[in-house]
Amino acid sequence: MTDQTGVIGDVRRGMIPAHVYNDREIFELEKERVFSRAWVFVGHESEIAQPGDYVVRRVLEDSFIVTRDEQGEIRAHFNMCLHRGMQVCRAEVGNASHFRCPYHGWSYRNDGRIVGLPFHKDAYGGEAGFKRKGQRLLPAPNLATYNGMIFLSMDPDAPPLEEFLGDFRFYLDYYTKQSASGIELRGPQRWRVKANWKIGAENFAGDMYHTPQTHTSVVEIGLFREPKAEKRKDGATYWAGAGGGTTYKLPEGDLDERLRYVGYPQEMIERMKEQWSDDQLRVIGDDGFMISAASVYPNLSFVHNWPRVAESDDVLPFVSIRQWQPISEDETEVLSWFAVDAEAPEEFKALSYKAYLMCFGSTGMFEQDDVENWVSLTNTAAGSMARRLLLNSRMGILEDDRPVVPPLGPDAFHGPGEARTGYSEYNQRALLNHWADDLEKPPSKAATLEVGGPGEGAQDAAGRTSANADQISLPAGEAVAQA
Amino acid sequence: MPRLVADVEACQGYGNCITGASDVFDIDDDGVVVLLKEKVPESDRARVEEAARSCPVSALSVED
Repeated sequence: MTDQTGVIGDVRRGMIPAHVYNDREIFELEKERVFSRAWVFVGHESEIAQPGDYVVRRVLEDSFIVTRDEQGEIRAHFNMCLHRGMQVCRAEVGNASHFRCPYHGWSYRNDGRIVGLPFHKDAYGGEAGFKRKGQRLLPAPNLATYNGMIFLSMDPDAPPLEEFLGDFRFYLDYYTKQSASGIELRGPQRWRVKANWKIGAENFAGDMYHTPQTHTSVVEIGLFREPKAEKRKDGATYWAGAGGGTTYKLPEGDLDERLRYVGYPQEMIERMKEQWSDDQLRVIGDDGFMISAASVYPNLSFVHNWPRVAESDDVLPFVSIRQWQPISEDETEVLSWFAVDAEAPEEFKALSYKAYLMCFGSTGMFEQDDVENWVSLTNTAAGSMARRLLLNSRMGILEDDRPVVPPLGPDAFHGPGEARTGYSEYNQRALLNHWADDLEKPPSKAATLEVGGPGEGAQDAAGRTSANADQISLPAGEAVAQA
Repeated sequence: MPRLVADVEACQGYGNCITGASDVFDIDDDGVVVLLKEKVPESDRARVEEAARSCPVSALSVED
């Protein structure tokens, strides 16, 4: 594999080799070093509210059944039969007490334990030949939730999710905890675009600069109350922990007036005031900033906006959660959910959904504007000329690295992390620096699992087996290099 | 009341019955069907019969 030290060094000084947006070797490295260890979003608890509810979601090529078992516990089973490797569950969503493999009929309870193993005695000689006891579908190496959002990590030794998210949790609450009940989701809509996954993640992290150009037409048709798209530079961008995002500057007013300005009814505002910390409320009420788009490393994004939903001047806010699921170096599967506070009035939910569909999702006007750029960029990044070009991603810093605009002080911005007004690419650089950190770190050796083999013990609770499993495991890096 | 009959010699441990009626059928650690109830109310007959019929080796029946 090519030494990527030069690429990483360039990215660290804010100069991006254009080919990173369409490069097979970089993508192989991302599979090995980014998605093998990061916490990756797979769904929300509200999608699997009842025992037996499940959704099938992927982390790269790995399919997982994300389910709530009969005891109410959330689990993620690797969706591969222990026998011949067939995909056990082929529906995308449903409710089932058991999953039965279509190939030879092995079946599993929704907590992953094996139930049915046809002709165990005749074919295997019973337990003497195949230790059925204690076998279960392989659990995801790591699973954790925050505000009901379910994340998996392929690294059993990943840092705790809350530590990984860090101070971004402060901002995550605006999208996912507007009341004690949290959010409920609709969707996801799912489609594929011929674009590299990093482009969307970077765009949502901090690209306020594209709005006046790319989305001119959305403003021209009057979808937004603010007539000038360049209003965006009055907003602040922030980066904290594993993520960062953009905000809009709100007109003068107190907390309630400013939340009403973006279209929240008073009863929802009252619940926000109960739920959010003083500092979370101050960012809106005192500092006058309203969160808009955001990204969490590596490939999860959020958007909060408030378009007009009728002929009047009234606007209504919506929240979307989206994931840039990499398919290859030049293709991404987009998963786009509508999210809304579970305690919101039904009328609000209906109109907020309408607002979302106008702006994002497969029918969304912003979506179509954005994707046209991202596909074209990816396509152009494939050739030999792109290998000669270092893109300047240094917006907001001078040649000697001093900032164009200093960060906002604690009195001007009450959120954690670093925030500043105006156009800049601090957040895109922060995201790609996380990426560079991962790319530099050699992969760790993954434990392998034998299924009921000779001299092999049963899996423990975490799906690990006895020590001799290590003897036959290949270092993940070697496996990738052979691929 | 409908009575459940299991042929433990015929059972091959498919477990399809459990998917159909997990409150009535289970499989023990040796991979053989276990009846969790001997009789079921008439109102459960259709559901339990369907689960019994799902057995690929016809090890289960529901009798009067």
